[in-house]
Amino acid sequence: MASSSNTEIQKMIVLQSSDGQIFEIEESIASNSQTLRNMIEDECADNVIPLPNVTAKILARVIEYCKRHTEAAAAGDAADADDLKKFDADFVDPDDQETLFDTILAANYLNISSLMDMLCKAVADMLKGKDAEAIRKRFNIKNDYTKEEEEEVRKENSWAFED
Amino acid sequence: MGETSIPLPFGDFPDDVQLCVLSFLLPADLAAFSCTCKRFVSLYRHDQRLWFSMCHRRWGSKTLINRWGSGKISYKILYRILHEYDSLIGFWRRCGDAASAASSSSPLVFFEWGPFYITCSRISPSRDGGYEVIKKPFLWMSVASNGEPVNYLDPDGKFALTEEDLMGESGLAENELIQVNVSFIGECHAVVEENLGFSGFGRDSSSGNSRGEDYENVYGSPPDKLMTEIYQYFANRTSPSGNGSRRQKRKGKDKQGRMRKWEPEHFVKIVNCSPKPARPLQGLWKGICENMSLDFYLVSYDDVGGIVCRKVGDSNRALTYHTPIFWTSNLTFIESPFSPEEDHIYNCRLHLRPPVEADQSLLLSSDCRDISVSHMLYINSSYDLVIPDLVETTANPRQMKGRIWQYENGTFGFGFLRDSYIIDLKHIAVDGHLLDTV
Repeated sequence: MASSSNTEIQKMIVLQSSDGQIFEIEESIASNSQTLRNMIEDECADNVIPLPNVTAKILARVIEYCKRHTEAAAAGDAADADDLKKFDADFVDPDDQETLFDTILAANYLNISSLMDMLCKAVADMLKGKDAEAIRKRFNIKNDYTKEEEEEVRKENSWAFED
Repeated sequence: MGETSIPLPFGDFPDDVQLCVLSFLLPADLAAFSCTCKRFVSLYRHDQRLWFSMCHRRWGSKTLINRWGSGKISYKILYRILHEYDSLIGFWRRCGDAASAASSSSPLVFFEWGPFYITCSRISPSRDGGYEVIKKPFLWMSVASNGEPVNYLDPDGKFALTEEDLMGESGLAENELIQVNVSFIGECHAVVEENLGFSGFGRDSSSGNSRGEDYENVYGSPPDKLMTEIYQYFANRTSPSGNGSRRQKRKGKDKQGRMRKWEPEHFVKIVNCSPKPARPLQGLWKGICENMSLDFYLVSYDDVGGIVCRKVGDSNRALTYHTPIFWTSNLTFIESPFSPEEDHIYNCRLHLRPPVEADQSLLLSSDCRDISVSHMLYINSSYDLVIPDLVETTANPRQMKGRIWQYENGTFGFGFLRDSYIIDLKHIAVDGHLLDTV
């Protein structure tokens, strides 16, 4: 598995997506995921690890994210910070709701905190500056208030609007 | 960008994902979000985890969120408190009645984050000839678990408080320190006064100052506006001892006949206390002046494209704060190399530096003398304004003129043509941390 020219012998972690595709990644990259890290430490990571909640498409994206960030961390000062920034900016496509939703769930399941933060912040940015009705539309939230109830809640929260 | 037709089903996210998303919001957006449906308003009102995350995102790197209010406080309340405390952090200058007993201490104070409280310290130059500054904490601001402010003042700096003291476990705070209130009058003006039964920390809503003032356009309160604010504050108070202006009141008594142990102190915020790329000279600096003692200097950019430098820190001369050390209205820097004449003016000057032991001089790696001058600026002194009988001699412009020499490391020194010194200025604080404290 490890090539003979590779001086570091990294353990390979094998993941299987919900649709049956196999992904092999180095342990250093898998370590971005707290979930996988726990499994490695508990020595449950020697066989194929099934991920029934994550499709191949999403898993590939998540692995790409982890690869880029691991490489950048290893390169230290020599890393191309702008390149990484661009990658992160392009990673989140606010118009592709389904991919975003699924990637967030995958990041949550795999417990990759930096990816979670990045994606959740992107979702938070979608509702900044919007009023309640616009938020409902964007996030498919059903309004179960009467008009009076809603007005009451707005008044109660008015201190927050002062800022 | 246009709205997509497919909404993101936020409600389908697991709870911890929802919390993560919401923790990035500011209260205004969270409040709007909470109005969307009943399920989310309950989250907004009661969810400790959510408000804790919000506190942690904003202030987690500066203070220990989980220790405020003995860990039992509502984090929604704590968020609001920390948001208000945020405006206190930084340098402030005491102002107002200079004849009160408090004027024997330094007028420069510094608010900073503690583990579960805010401290305010008096900052004064050390008198040992070096660049060290003395930092004496005298005010501690924390909160009880019900959100009520608990502020203690140690006016003479007698005690070195430990965390047990502040948590009320030793009884020291109750018995030896003075309970005070800290209130804002406008965005940049605060008053600390003894708690004789008034309410706690808050903003005076009659101040009429706009919130969210952009500090780019604030050049400090002019003296007359400040005095008006102080008078108004005391005149508007509906409190036992606050009827009418009591600024001049000494050892006042309230209705219960308790003696006021400590006179209120007013503070004005020193905005713009570090240099920025567009304003490389602005901020609070320290330097050794002509009498070989350390002084603090505040350089401010004014609204007509010039700068003014004033001394801050010698409380005996509180009124001389308003007399500039130097000023200029022409901020066109001259780049090196300079004319031979200017080089000569610079080179035959003595840099005022602290006396250095012979064997230590080898250790000075960033000696100012070795840092070359990158830019130069013409300045004027106010020397002639202070000493009236020099008016006749100001026919000689050399009395008034001077130079600023900006060094490559970003600091600068200044001097006047009438003498042969350079006062080199160094940063008092970097990234919100005081340097060289003792």
